[in-house]
Amino acid sequence: MTQLQQQARGINLQALLLISICIGLMFVDHRYNHLEIVRSKISLVLSPLRDLVSLPALGGEWANEWFTSHAELLEENESLQARRRILNAQLQRMQVLQAENTRLRNLLGTSRKLTDEVIVAELLSVDQNPYRQLIEINKGTNDGIKTGHAIIDDFGVMGQVVHINRYSSTIILISDPDHATPVQFIRSGVRSVAFGNGNTDYLELRFLPATADIQIGDELVTSGLGGRFPADYPVATVVSISEDLTHGFVSVLASPKARLNSSREVLVIKVGDLDAEIKQK
Amino acid sequence: MPKFRYLVIPISFIVGMILLILPLPEWVRIYRPDWLALILIYWSMALPKRVGLWSAFIIGLLADSLLGTLLGHHALALVVITYLNLNFYLRIRVLSLPQQSLYVFGLLVISQLIISWMNGIMGLTVPVQAVFGAPLIGMLMWPLAFVILRDIRRKVMLS
Repeated sequence: MTQLQQQARGINLQALLLISICIGLMFVDHRYNHLEIVRSKISLVLSPLRDLVSLPALGGEWANEWFTSHAELLEENESLQARRRILNAQLQRMQVLQAENTRLRNLLGTSRKLTDEVIVAELLSVDQNPYRQLIEINKGTNDGIKTGHAIIDDFGVMGQVVHINRYSSTIILISDPDHATPVQFIRSGVRSVAFGNGNTDYLELRFLPATADIQIGDELVTSGLGGRFPADYPVATVVSISEDLTHGFVSVLASPKARLNSSREVLVIKVGDLDAEIKQK
Repeated sequence: MPKFRYLVIPISFIVGMILLILPLPEWVRIYRPDWLALILIYWSMALPKRVGLWSAFIIGLLADSLLGTLLGHHALALVVITYLNLNFYLRIRVLSLPQQSLYVFGLLVISQLIISWMNGIMGLTVPVQAVFGAPLIGMLMWPLAFVILRDIRRKVMLS
């Protein structure tokens, strides 16, 4: 055998080995959770890269803040103060209602936590897989975040944590084709599941019974079933209802409340710890 | 300098990864050229002894971690095109840049097909323009990548 042939053979064997490793890795990563540790280690090594890439966006924000005029700041401050006053007023009533709710629940013998622990995180400006709806935030295990924690913005539910490393984590949005959110109609109490379809404008609710009480404009909140998302956070508003008369089902399109495209700051709600769930199983 | 000259290879890959996750407007995202593949094709063509299948595998895993795809997804695509490249590089090296570009287009389409195929298995829909669009842009970028990387390689006298 010539040297060239030997080389070619070596390459063939190596390629075969690596291709099978890749396929094996993908299979394990798709089905099981064992590779999460490897992923978070690699991700940790690469986190300076992410910071570097999102630096221009951060710099832009910083410059924007720096060059805002005094008058503008005063104006903004005033409007924020006014808003805070209104919210405080609403909160007073809310507290009374909450106390009443707890009392009634105690009477009924059920218990439910009404306030959840929340931390604020910022989006990193990096692009992810273009076919998925993933975003990256600047908080990780160092801040107590775990896979499965729910993410919301000021308007509604955004998604949940799928991968974490020490300083950042990856969020899957509710509009990802692989994501489903357990929801409930506020008005009628009908429960369903809202699927993402890769488009940030719509969520899909499939196979609702044709007799279900649904109207355009109905509000959807998380139902709390499945235990991942805490109950009663706003998710979406119904925008269209199409009936499939041959099968007796209706499918509903709802537009998400959260600004999935444009929110820069998000809240992480610390409930729904996936790791603990897996350990229990 | 001679001691650190091999560092230009990892540095070029780091630049490739930055270009991979650099934020782009939504509608151009699927046309983003696969810079990592271009850089990998260049180095495995110029220095096949140094940059080969294992480099492709590791770069692929790093890309998977950056993009949030399944581990092994981009690694598989990169390993396959590097394997093809290692078989053909002796014949391709002597061609002119436009001719090389066509060859690179072929490799990029193969890599994109593998990536899309895996996406398809996982139930994600991939638009057709993504399969041919990104490799087309990549093909147009090849002369640029080639000239830049060749000049760098000559400057640090790697061969």
